[in-house]
Amino acid sequence: MTSPNGPGKATAGQGDITTQPIRSGRVSTGTDVRGISVSGAGKRFGTLEALTPVDLHVAPGEVVTLLGPSGCGKTTLLRMIAGLEPPTDGAITVDGDDPVAARSAKRFGFVPQSPALLPWRSVEANVRLLQEVNRAANPAALPDPLALLDAVGLTGFRSAMPHELSGGMQQRVALARAFALDAPYLLMDEPFAALDEITRADMRHLLAELCEPRNTAVVFVTHSIAEAVFLSDRVAVLSARPGRIVEVVDVDLPRPRTADLEDDPRFFTIETQLRRLLHEGSGR
Amino acid sequence: MSRTVRQRPAAWAVIGLVLFTLTWELWVRLADVKPFITIEPSRIAGELADNPRFWLGQTWLTAWHTMVGVGVALALGVVVGAVLAAARPVEWAVQPVLVLVMVTPWVAYITSVVNWLGAGTPTILFMVSFVTFPPMVFAAVQGMRSADVAARELLASVDAGRREVFWRLRLPSALPSLFTALRFGTGLGLAAAYFSEGGSVASGVGLGEVGRRGTQNQGGGYPIVWGSIVCAAILGVLFLVGVNLLERRVLRWHSSQRAATS
Repeated sequence: MTSPNGPGKATAGQGDITTQPIRSGRVSTGTDVRGISVSGAGKRFGTLEALTPVDLHVAPGEVVTLLGPSGCGKTTLLRMIAGLEPPTDGAITVDGDDPVAARSAKRFGFVPQSPALLPWRSVEANVRLLQEVNRAANPAALPDPLALLDAVGLTGFRSAMPHELSGGMQQRVALARAFALDAPYLLMDEPFAALDEITRADMRHLLAELCEPRNTAVVFVTHSIAEAVFLSDRVAVLSARPGRIVEVVDVDLPRPRTADLEDDPRFFTIETQLRRLLHEGSGR
Repeated sequence: MSRTVRQRPAAWAVIGLVLFTLTWELWVRLADVKPFITIEPSRIAGELADNPRFWLGQTWLTAWHTMVGVGVALALGVVVGAVLAAARPVEWAVQPVLVLVMVTPWVAYITSVVNWLGAGTPTILFMVSFVTFPPMVFAAVQGMRSADVAARELLASVDAGRREVFWRLRLPSALPSLFTALRFGTGLGLAAAYFSEGGSVASGVGLGEVGRRGTQNQGGGYPIVWGSIVCAAILGVLFLVGVNLLERRVLRWHSSQRAATS
């Protein structure tokens, strides 16, 4: 189940606001396996099996979506990758290291389901939050929060307070905050689930736009098929509980991904394929 | 002139207070209420106006006792609350003790405290802090526990240190409940200060002691007693206003304050 189309992304467009330094300072200390390797990792809570052991590899710069019905263990898998929860079976490595070590090294940009902005901090201070903690692990050159706010379309909102923003704008701040560490891996847990359909579409277009020039690898959890197709290089379809990976589908759509791609017949073909797999997985 | 009196809460507050005072005055005069029950507000006002320096001085002493006592309780409450919020077993062990402190009438053991710490200020400050400490701890624990789970995960995802999480997330999350406790605590602290001043076996230590002396002085003591009561009441109001103003400044981001200001 290795990636056929690793980090082969199109080169950056005009949207490239921060030229990223090569992440050469992050050579792994363990076995030299670049990317995220999930080998036989599963999770049991007592007798309840939340996730049957799965295998998955996410290459650097690759966007992989975990698509599945609610309660299928996709969030559990993401949390295990993030080092927030240990697997009860198997192992996970990030660039050859334990996820907990990768977390300490600030190699993840995490986007939770709710924006989780701190209401007492301004928009700009929220974007800076993760730069301020565990400073020892910060990269040499931190991205400029103001440039990130520009990139997510919130120019002029730096001193606004979170409660003054709409749900979509709040999630934009959460995106800027995740990119503020210049982390090689973005872990996103249904970040757009609470948004309305139109805002949701805007957000996935924005996310694609942001990821493109940065060559950031993304593990994206969702139950939206459109989101999965639009964003991903590969989609791992999970079955209903106990979760297991039914199939990993390659999304051979051109990059950069733009909004008009959603009208492309190839888009529909993959959407249909995924929908069928989802239904098989849920036993319907 | 765009807003009539009808829509001004402050105007109505003044009207309410004036009516209350008038009723009190008329009741005492018309029903010939005995001075050991209460005296006319006008006589109390006269007493305060005759000795403004004395009353200001005593009121300041009581204010100082309350602020220092409650301040210490708040500071210790946050520290202890942080420990309890971090360790459930410690919380289970400490909670009954705090409840015990909270429900025990402090009137009952003040003599012990005087014997232990000595008359006057040490006893008064201890009593105020001791009595207001448990609600501060409970507020701190509850507030810190209420910290957004997603925000906690977010900070964990970059391995933020305990101290970083405390300052950036736990403590700010606890501020709303701490302010609630503070509003309640200053009232409780003021009562504890007034009572302890009276029971601290020292003189010239604040309104409570003035009031106690007044009750023992059979003749002209009533204006003194009521002067101390009114001063304590004004002090209580000032504390409330102070806490509310501070809260409005500090918690501008919080939904409770947005509803009040906009």
